[in-house]
Amino acid sequence: MDLIVGFLILFGFLFFTGGAVGILRFPDFYSRLHPAGKLDTMGVLLSASALALYNLHPFSLANLLTSFKIVLIVIFVFLASPTATHAIVDAGMRAGLSPWKKGR
Amino acid sequence: MKTIALIIVIITGSFLLYATVDFPSWGDPQSPASTHVSPRYIERTLEETSVPNVVTAVLADYRGFDTLFETTVIFAAGVACFFLLRAFGKERPATGLYRHLLTGVTVRIKGSAGLPDDMEEFERIDTLWTPYDPIVKVMCQRLIPFIQLFALYVIAHGHHSPGGGFQGGVILGASLILLSISHNFRIALRRMGERLDALLCALGVAIYAGTGALCLLLGANFLDYSALAGILHVDPVTARSHGILIVEIGVGIAVMATMVLIYNNLASAGKFDEGL
Repeated sequence: MDLIVGFLILFGFLFFTGGAVGILRFPDFYSRLHPAGKLDTMGVLLSASALALYNLHPFSLANLLTSFKIVLIVIFVFLASPTATHAIVDAGMRAGLSPWKKGR
Repeated sequence: MKTIALIIVIITGSFLLYATVDFPSWGDPQSPASTHVSPRYIERTLEETSVPNVVTAVLADYRGFDTLFETTVIFAAGVACFFLLRAFGKERPATGLYRHLLTGVTVRIKGSAGLPDDMEEFERIDTLWTPYDPIVKVMCQRLIPFIQLFALYVIAHGHHSPGGGFQGGVILGASLILLSISHNFRIALRRMGERLDALLCALGVAIYAGTGALCLLLGANFLDYSALAGILHVDPVTARSHGILIVEIGVGIAVMATMVLIYNNLASAGKFDEGL
């Protein structure tokens, strides 16, 4: 059980690290939103489900309720974060910011 | 003039900095606040108000006056925004865009006459209109009820966990603003009209102050909720807990309505016609 939790948290941190590096390294607004939207969502998803799993350890109804709340947070982030990223990209397009092209 | 202002600011600032020398150091267990005030709250809150969350009890009961006037400040901010920004008079812009729903044809009508708002065949669209994204629209439509449910949870659960009227009210107001952003300014305005909004804004403060006045009428001090025991048919300690909840609901309503009022005035530039 703890092994699975450890792996999930580790992979979550891997995604978070990738997201942070991506935000720093990508050339323009849109490509930076790509890691911000995708990798952070995946990182939250993995590490929060690890927490929900770890919390179940001494199994009781109260712990189950707490884990259920964490899962609800994960679902909310999973739905809201990509939508927010999409809305930001949409706003950028409407404001007239053109995407980056190589060699310009 | 600017030089004089700068000198006054520097003098006041240096006085304030000088005064901080007399403060007890941060987290000092010997400071007056830590020796008398905090232990009293921590030890006696549960038996006096039957509220497990000390912060809520201090906020709404022990320091009820402070919170009452904080709510009044928020109300005053909303009213000030209304009086500064609201543009009365000519309601409609020079041209109005309407879309025929069946054919998708857009009609531009010049002059301030326009078409009535409640037509079945035509839909009013903004002058700077761009097609709304179905992803954002549908997601917000699905999420808003849950956000509002969570806001009510935060208001009602302030006794036991972090939360309360201010936080829950902000979440509730944000959900209404999200509707306005993701759909249309007028759809949100139809859900919560300007008159209702202003009424709720005042009602929230009135609930708070009215609870205090009711305690006064029942023979106790202002905002001494234990006087409500006779009305609520509970013992005085539980009555204080219920009194805190009533007050938190008032705060939540006031904060929610004020947020929406300020957003509506800012987003439509006071015209209440076309949003962002």
